[in-house]
Amino acid sequence: MNSIKKSPTDEVGKRSYTNFSQLNGEHPFKTQVPGGRVEYKARYRKGGKVAFFNFELAKEMGLIAKNHPNSLTPDLEREILDTFSLTIINEYDLMNDIKFAEEDIFPNTFMATRYLQLQHPDKMGRTSGDGRTIWNGSVKNNGITWDVSSCGTGGTKLSPACNINKKFYQTGDPSVSYGCGLSEVAEGLETLFFSEVLGKNGFKTERVLAILEYDKGIGINVRANPNLIRPSHFFSHLRQGNLETLKQVADYYISRQVENKAWEVTSFKTTKEKYYYLASQMARSFAETAAKFENEYIFCWLDWDGDNILMDGGIIDYGSIRQFGLFHAEYRYDDVQRYSTTILEQRQKARYIVQCFIQIADFLTTKKKKSLSHFRAHPIMQSFDKHFIDSKNKNLLQKIGFKKKDQDHLLKNHLDKVTRFRKVFSYFERSKSKRGMYKVPDGINRDALFCMRDILREFPQLYLTRLNTLSHEEFVEIIKSSYARKSDLKLTDIRKKQINRFQSHYLSLITALEKDFNISRTHLMLELTMRSSVINKCDRVTGDSITYIVQKVQKLRPKLTAHELFELSQQFALYQNLDPDQKLVVANSPERHKNIMQNLYSIVRECREGL
Amino acid sequence: MKLVFYSGGDEKENLTLDYSFLELIDKKNPVITFIPSSSYLSEQEFKSFVRHYSKFKITRFIYFPIDVPFDKIIFSEVMRSDAIHMAGGNTFYFLNSLRKAKLLPQLKKFAEKGGVLSGLSAGAIMMTENIEMAGYPDFDRDENIVNVKNLSALNLVDFLFFPHFKNSPRYDAVFNKYTRSTDKIIYACPDGAGIVVKNDEIRFIGKCYAYSKGHKFNIN
Repeated sequence: MNSIKKSPTDEVGKRSYTNFSQLNGEHPFKTQVPGGRVEYKARYRKGGKVAFFNFELAKEMGLIAKNHPNSLTPDLEREILDTFSLTIINEYDLMNDIKFAEEDIFPNTFMATRYLQLQHPDKMGRTSGDGRTIWNGSVKNNGITWDVSSCGTGGTKLSPACNINKKFYQTGDPSVSYGCGLSEVAEGLETLFFSEVLGKNGFKTERVLAILEYDKGIGINVRANPNLIRPSHFFSHLRQGNLETLKQVADYYISRQVENKAWEVTSFKTTKEKYYYLASQMARSFAETAAKFENEYIFCWLDWDGDNILMDGGIIDYGSIRQFGLFHAEYRYDDVQRYSTTILEQRQKARYIVQCFIQIADFLTTKKKKSLSHFRAHPIMQSFDKHFIDSKNKNLLQKIGFKKKDQDHLLKNHLDKVTRFRKVFSYFERSKSKRGMYKVPDGINRDALFCMRDILREFPQLYLTRLNTLSHEEFVEIIKSSYARKSDLKLTDIRKKQINRFQSHYLSLITALEKDFNISRTHLMLELTMRSSVINKCDRVTGDSITYIVQKVQKLRPKLTAHELFELSQQFALYQNLDPDQKLVVANSPERHKNIMQNLYSIVRECREGL
Repeated sequence: MKLVFYSGGDEKENLTLDYSFLELIDKKNPVITFIPSSSYLSEQEFKSFVRHYSKFKITRFIYFPIDVPFDKIIFSEVMRSDAIHMAGGNTFYFLNSLRKAKLLPQLKKFAEKGGVLSGLSAGAIMMTENIEMAGYPDFDRDENIVNVKNLSALNLVDFLFFPHFKNSPRYDAVFNKYTRSTDKIIYACPDGAGIVVKNDEIRFIGKCYAYSKGHKFNIN
């Protein structure tokens, strides 16, 4: 470890890595919200190597030059390790007077932030927050300030283990798992593969900047996002009625959003306007997010603590994130002490979070904390509900394959038709197996019966070739999933009616566009055939597939360089990019990579309908 | 039997072959099925395919990836289509997928019953007796990424087809050597060239080459 950080330069390309030096523990949150963090000294952690580095993200963040090759030069590797390979000197170390070499100790402190977490007995956020994460700092590039934090940097006093067992732990103590403060490379890989795919498909998400690797699969996972604040950062101070710190968090968060031009409005006449704008932005983001989670079958454990999600609805902490292949709407994750929410309950949790932000806006404005129920009928809540339904409609039209222009036209002029189709679509999407609820490896589930992607992909092309609708039997044959048993697929009168409705409501959307724009039905259906083949491709990544992919990559990884892992993650994300308008640039990859990717595709295929 | 062998190349280069293909179909607005060699990013290939044939006022297409599960409804529609086009890619992977999906006899039956079958590069090799040409010669071959051992294919013609051919002594040496030990003729076609088979009639489009009994012949 260099006690004074140098800025290495690659002599060949004359590239400097000076911006890494900004990630030195200093962060505006430290000074602007002193009550919102705990500070730790840190020491250099020896024996690490760079398992993965996200070259494209690093370029976007200005950490490396735009023309930097996607390869790990010795200087770059040293810079990454010097910046991120660290372990905090925690309470246990101090109480036990553990000595560390002076030259290994970083000059600045690193913060762990405080936020509400439901697994803490306190339930007020006084003891909870980053349990094994510190914030490395922030870095600005092209008008965007990025937050960078690292997971696996040692156990803090904000971890659940510390507070449940009322003792401090030495980092790496094998008697506690999560509380030991370490992280595994596999966790980083899971986040990497999942976040790159979801990011490419329009989800807001944390992204993996680097994964450092140590002995026995232990790692440090470095994440980045333009704003890593979560609702739970507010909620701890709201619960405690700590107006001063709550205001500091709000002001800090708002100033970053304004600075990053993340909001349309960048100046406010009054503080009231400012805090209510924050609440309305929350309503918008969380309505869109909850709708998108439902439409794309994303399970993200949204709960009253506002953890596991960023303020803009971005995904953070992929530990419990799943993408289901079908609408397994009754799946619950088993977290030992409790079961999680279901996909359908996410909307209510998102609604609750928005309601809390109206409460926050009122509290910050009036300085009096009213009960949450007081805001149940607030206009912002109504705007959440409206925006949720609008988003559901829009997402469905997008899923069918309509272009944005056609989506907007249908929503504006034929909302009744869209709503009718959404209802019948939901009927099939939410049909459940007669098998009932049963245990799955990490929770409980009741199987969904139908694969909506299959019918959306096949219907337009079958209609085009026959110029006729499908029979009831054909419809069920196409839409049935591998979970459906014979008894689940009975063609009852209701089901027959719903099949007829599905097809006629679908075609009524086509007829509307046909008439309004004077385009031929054939042309429209052909367009949908092509777009839908991308959007509703047969292979779609699920949580299960990510788990198996990470296992596969872990097995291969001793022979995979950081650069190769980067290439594979990018190829995988490209393969799972469901944007029908994307311009594809397929890089010519080595045969070995092609073989690996074939393995990954097979995994995705096998798990396509799972959890 | 109505077959079209495309070597490769861009849309402009293949225009004459396209017209021959449509002539063989001989139907206004036929249904054409597109079978990619691998489903990986094949939706984009399908889009290009549709955009291209839309220029001929064709609007009815079926996208049929075969290395992913498919249902019998779409399958029966494929078998009813007027033409099936097999795309290019890794020939070994393609053959393996066709075999796993039990499609080889079905496609053979389709062609024998009068459906028009066309193939580009790997797809064209698939119509021959076996896909040996995909692994030949050493300096220009597909990798057998799926380690497929049984190389027998649709066996619709009695010649071998070599796509993306570059007229050079390097190829002459290996193909002359190859044909010395077999009765089969290799038709080697550069991009833009190809072969049209209509029952017993065989027509070469563009500059093609034949290798037989250790000798090379220019066609066209």
